[in-house]
Amino acid sequence: MLRIKGGRIYDPERNINGQVEDICIQDGKIVASVDEDAPTLDATGLIVFPGGVDVHTHVAGGAINFARAMSPEDHRRAQAFIRTQTTRGGIGGYAPTTFATGYLYAGMGWTTVNEAAVPVLSARHTHEELHDIPVLDKSLLVLMANNEILLDLLDTGEHERAKDVVAWYLWAAKAYGVKAVNPGGVAAWKWGHDAKQLSTPIDGYQRVTPGDIITHLARIVDELHLPHPMHLHCNNLGAPGNVATTLETMERLEGHRAHLAHLQYHAYGGDDWDSMRSAAAQVAEYFNASPHLTTDAGVVLFGDTVTITADGPWQHLLYKLTGRKWGNLDVENETGCGIVPYTYKRTNLVNAVQWAVGLELLLLIDDPWRVFLTTDHPNGACFWRYPEILHLLMCRDFRRECWNTFPDRIKQRIVLPELDREYTLLEIATIISAGPAKALGLNTKGGLAPGKDADLVLYSPNQDVAQMFSHPRYVIKAGQIVVEEGEIRSTPAGREIIFQPGFSPDVESYLRERFEDCYTMSFENYPVEMERVENPLIQSADPSGQS
Amino acid sequence: MTNTPKSPELRVIDHATCTFCGCVCDDIKLHTDGNRVHKAERACVLGKAWFLNHTAERAYPDAIVDGREASLDEAIEVAAELLYQADMPLIYGLSNTTCEAQRECVALADAISGIVDSHTSL
Amino acid sequence: MGGKVTCTLGEVKNRADFIVYWGGNPAECHPRHFTKYTIMQKSRFLPRGRKDRTMVLVDIRETKSVKAADIFLQVRPGKDFELITVLRAMIKDQPVDDSAIAEIGLQRSDLEDLVARMKRAKFGVMFFGMGLSMTRGKHMNSAALLTLAAEMNAFTKFVAMPMRGHGNVTGADVVMRWQTGYPFGVSYHRGYPRYNPGEFSTVDVLVRGDTDCVFVLGADPGATMPQPAIEHLKRVPTIVLDPHVTHTSRLANVHITTAPAGIAAAGTAYRMDEIALPLRPAIDSPYPSDFEVVRRIHEAIRQKPDWRVRSPWIERQLDAAH
Repeated sequence: MLRIKGGRIYDPERNINGQVEDICIQDGKIVASVDEDAPTLDATGLIVFPGGVDVHTHVAGGAINFARAMSPEDHRRAQAFIRTQTTRGGIGGYAPTTFATGYLYAGMGWTTVNEAAVPVLSARHTHEELHDIPVLDKSLLVLMANNEILLDLLDTGEHERAKDVVAWYLWAAKAYGVKAVNPGGVAAWKWGHDAKQLSTPIDGYQRVTPGDIITHLARIVDELHLPHPMHLHCNNLGAPGNVATTLETMERLEGHRAHLAHLQYHAYGGDDWDSMRSAAAQVAEYFNASPHLTTDAGVVLFGDTVTITADGPWQHLLYKLTGRKWGNLDVENETGCGIVPYTYKRTNLVNAVQWAVGLELLLLIDDPWRVFLTTDHPNGACFWRYPEILHLLMCRDFRRECWNTFPDRIKQRIVLPELDREYTLLEIATIISAGPAKALGLNTKGGLAPGKDADLVLYSPNQDVAQMFSHPRYVIKAGQIVVEEGEIRSTPAGREIIFQPGFSPDVESYLRERFEDCYTMSFENYPVEMERVENPLIQSADPSGQS
Repeated sequence: MTNTPKSPELRVIDHATCTFCGCVCDDIKLHTDGNRVHKAERACVLGKAWFLNHTAERAYPDAIVDGREASLDEAIEVAAELLYQADMPLIYGLSNTTCEAQRECVALADAISGIVDSHTSL
Repeated sequence: MGGKVTCTLGEVKNRADFIVYWGGNPAECHPRHFTKYTIMQKSRFLPRGRKDRTMVLVDIRETKSVKAADIFLQVRPGKDFELITVLRAMIKDQPVDDSAIAEIGLQRSDLEDLVARMKRAKFGVMFFGMGLSMTRGKHMNSAALLTLAAEMNAFTKFVAMPMRGHGNVTGADVVMRWQTGYPFGVSYHRGYPRYNPGEFSTVDVLVRGDTDCVFVLGADPGATMPQPAIEHLKRVPTIVLDPHVTHTSRLANVHITTAPAGIAAAGTAYRMDEIALPLRPAIDSPYPSDFEVVRRIHEAIRQKPDWRVRSPWIERQLDAAH
C-alpha cells in the first residue's frame, strides 16, 4: 500500500495535464483510495508519468546475443554494472547484458518492453533471456512474413489454414503478436537475393508477392483478434527512394490495422546515395490520413552502435558498404538475421538525413497517439539515449543547434529546419507510454487511472530535459519502488505477457508433416513449454479468458 | 539414505535429447525401467553408449570430503566455505550439464567475484 | 568474434548443394551429422538428396569420413591458414604463386576446381572442426575460414559453422554471452564481467597458479589438461560436481555426485547451431541435479556475511538508521 501525495500528474488517457492529484497503490495496482494510515511518498513538486512502454526493441534472443559476441571492444569501454546486494554484475553499451538491460530501462523509467523480432525456433532461447531481464514486463513478437510453410499456403490461396498456422505458431512460441520483416525478402535472401518490388512474385513461388503477404498477414492478425496489429518492417529498408515502397505498402494493407516499425528507415527520397533526401513530409501526410495505422519513429542518433535485423539482404549490403564485421544467421524455414556494427556520423550526408527524418516524422505526424518514441534499439541508437531525443522534441532551439552544424547541402535535403513544433510534457507522456501501451493492446499499461498496473515514474522538474528524463527521482514497478534517485533499489522479477488465439486442432497433423520436411528438430520439442515462461500473464481471444 | 527399490515397469520416452556431442539429436526413443536405459533407438554408437552407461545405481557415495564419504549437506557446506574464503576462485567446465546449471554457475561466479570459463577456452 | 555468416542446421538440410568439412571427422565424432543434417537428407530444393550435393573433406589425414566425400583434399599439417588464404585470393582472381600452392601440398588444378565448384554452388556451407581451430594458427584459422565464407557471398550464398563437441558447451557460450556479454573466460573480480582469453582462460590461470580455489562441473580437467595445470589443481582446494568419481574428483577436496544431464536431470541444452532443446530424463537418479547443488552452494554462501560493496542506497539507509 502506498499513497503518492502531491505530484503533478500527466495521464494522457484522461487528459490530465499536470494537475496535482494523489495516486493510491495497492497490490501492484492503482486504486481509487487506500487506508488513511497507508505509507506516503511525498511527491510535492514532482512530475508523475505512467511507466515507459517500448513498442519496438531488440533485447533478448539469438540476434542480440550474436551482437553481444561480436562487440567485446564495446563492452570494454561501456558502462559497467558492479554487483551489489540487489543487482547482478553486467555491462551496458550497445548490446547490454540481460541484467544491465533491465537496470538501464528501469533506471530511466521504462517498465514494459516489446521484443520485436523472434523466430519461433529460437523462442525457447528468447524466453530464457527475458527471464534474466529483471524488473520489466515483457512481450515478444514472432517473425511470420518469410515463413515458408506460410508462404506456400498464401501461394495457393489457403487463407483459413494459414490463419490456423499463424495461431499455432503464436501458441508454440508463447508470443504476444506477429512481426513481418521485409515480406518475402528474407526468404529470397536464403538464395542470396531480395524482394524489392511489392508486386513481383517472390523467388521460388508461382504467385505470392510481398504485397500479398502484407495484405494477407494483416488480415489474419485482424481476424485472430490479436491485441496488437501486424507489426511491419517494410520492404526496401534504408534504401534511397524507398518512400514509394512505403506508400505502396500502406495501400496494400487495404484498411487492415498495422503498426509500421521504425518508419524513419522507410521515408527516403532520391535515387541513390548521392541524391538521398528526406521524404518524411510525404509519408507523414499519407499516414496522418490513415487512422488505422500506428508507427514508431526509429530515430537515429550520431555515434557508435550495432545494427541487428531480420533483414538479411540489407545487412549484407551494409557489410559491403562499411567493410566492418558481419554476422548472419539464417533460420530454417522461418527467417534470417544480420548483424553489422555501425557508426552514424553527422558529417555523413546519409546519416545526417536519417537523423533528421526520425525527428521530422515525430514532428509532422500530428497525433501523438499514433507515433511512438523508439530508436529500433540498437539499430538507430541505444535505448538508453531516449532522453536525448526527448530534449530534441521539446526544444526547437536545441534542434537548430544540431542541424546548424551540418553542411548546407544537407539542409536542402531535410525539412527539419522548417519545423517549429515543440512537444509538451503531456505529448511526451503519450509517445513514450500511453500511446505504445494502447497500440500494443496492453490495457493495464500506460495510464494512471485506478485499475491500471502501478508502473509509474516520478521526475524532478529540470530545465535540462535530457537530465530530467535520464535520472528519475523514483521509478515504481507493480507498486514497488525499484529506482530511487537513479539507483536500483530492488529488482523484482517482471512478467511475460502472452496472447494465445484459438486454432483448429487438425492444424497440428497438417503442420507435423510439413515440419518434418523442413525442420531438423522433433515437432514435439518445438513448442515452448508454458512452465518455462517467467510469470506468464496469458490473454486470449476467448471472451472467457483474461483479455 | 537407502536405495529405494524402483518400479520395474518399462517406460518409453520419445523425442528424448542426447547431449553427448554437438549434434544434440532430439529424436531418441528411450526404453527405460527407471533404473537404466535398455534401448536408445535412433541414437548413434556414441549416443547409445552415453545412454546405456548411466544407471540409477548408487555407484558412488553422495559426496566425498577430504577422501572420506560425506553427506550432501556437509559437502555443500564445505564447498560453500571454500569458495567463500577464496580470493580468486575459478569455476570451470560447464559442458556436460544443463543451461539451468550454467546460469546458476555464472550467478555464483558473480556472487563470489570469481572467474567463470568453459571448454571453449581450451 | 570478428563476425560469422552462418545458419541453423535445417538450412543446410534444405538448401546446401555444396558442403565442406574442414579439419573434422564427423563419421566418428558427430556420427549423425551426415544423415540428420547434411549430405544424406532429401529436401524440396534437393529432391535427390545425396546425388544433388557435393561433399568436400579437407584434412591432414585420411579419416573414416573420407568414404563419404566426393572430393578429399589432403592439406599438409599446419598449412590450413595458408590454404584458406590462397582460396581467398583465388576466388577474387588474384594471382597466386606456384610456391604458395606447393607449400600446402596440393595441386593448382585441385584448387581451381574447388573454387569453380564453390562459385557454382547455389548454397555452400563450410563446417570446421578442431583439426582447424586447435592446430597451428588456432583461432586465426577459424577467423580466416569465416572470412572466406563471408567473402563468398559476393558470388553466391555461403555460410560457415563450427562443429562444436563436448555436449552442451554451446549452451555455456550462449548463457555466458547474455549474462556477461562474453562467451567464455570471464572474470568478475572487479564486480562486473571482463574478458581476456589468455588471462582468464582456465589453463593459463592454473599454470600461472593464479587461482586459490577451483570449482569444476561438467568437465574432467584432471584427465585432459597439461601437467602444470593439474599440479596447481592438486595444490588448491578443488570442488567437483560429476555423475562419476573422475580423475579430477580424486585430486579434489570435495566431490559431489550429481545426476547426469539429459539422462536423469531435466533442463535445456543447445545444439551446435544455438537451437535450445528440452531434455527428457529417463532414469530416476538417487543424486541431485547439478543445478540443484550449485543453487544450494550459492544459497549457503548468501547466508554468510557479505564482504562486498553494498549498494549506495543501502549504505545511505544504514547511515540514516544510525
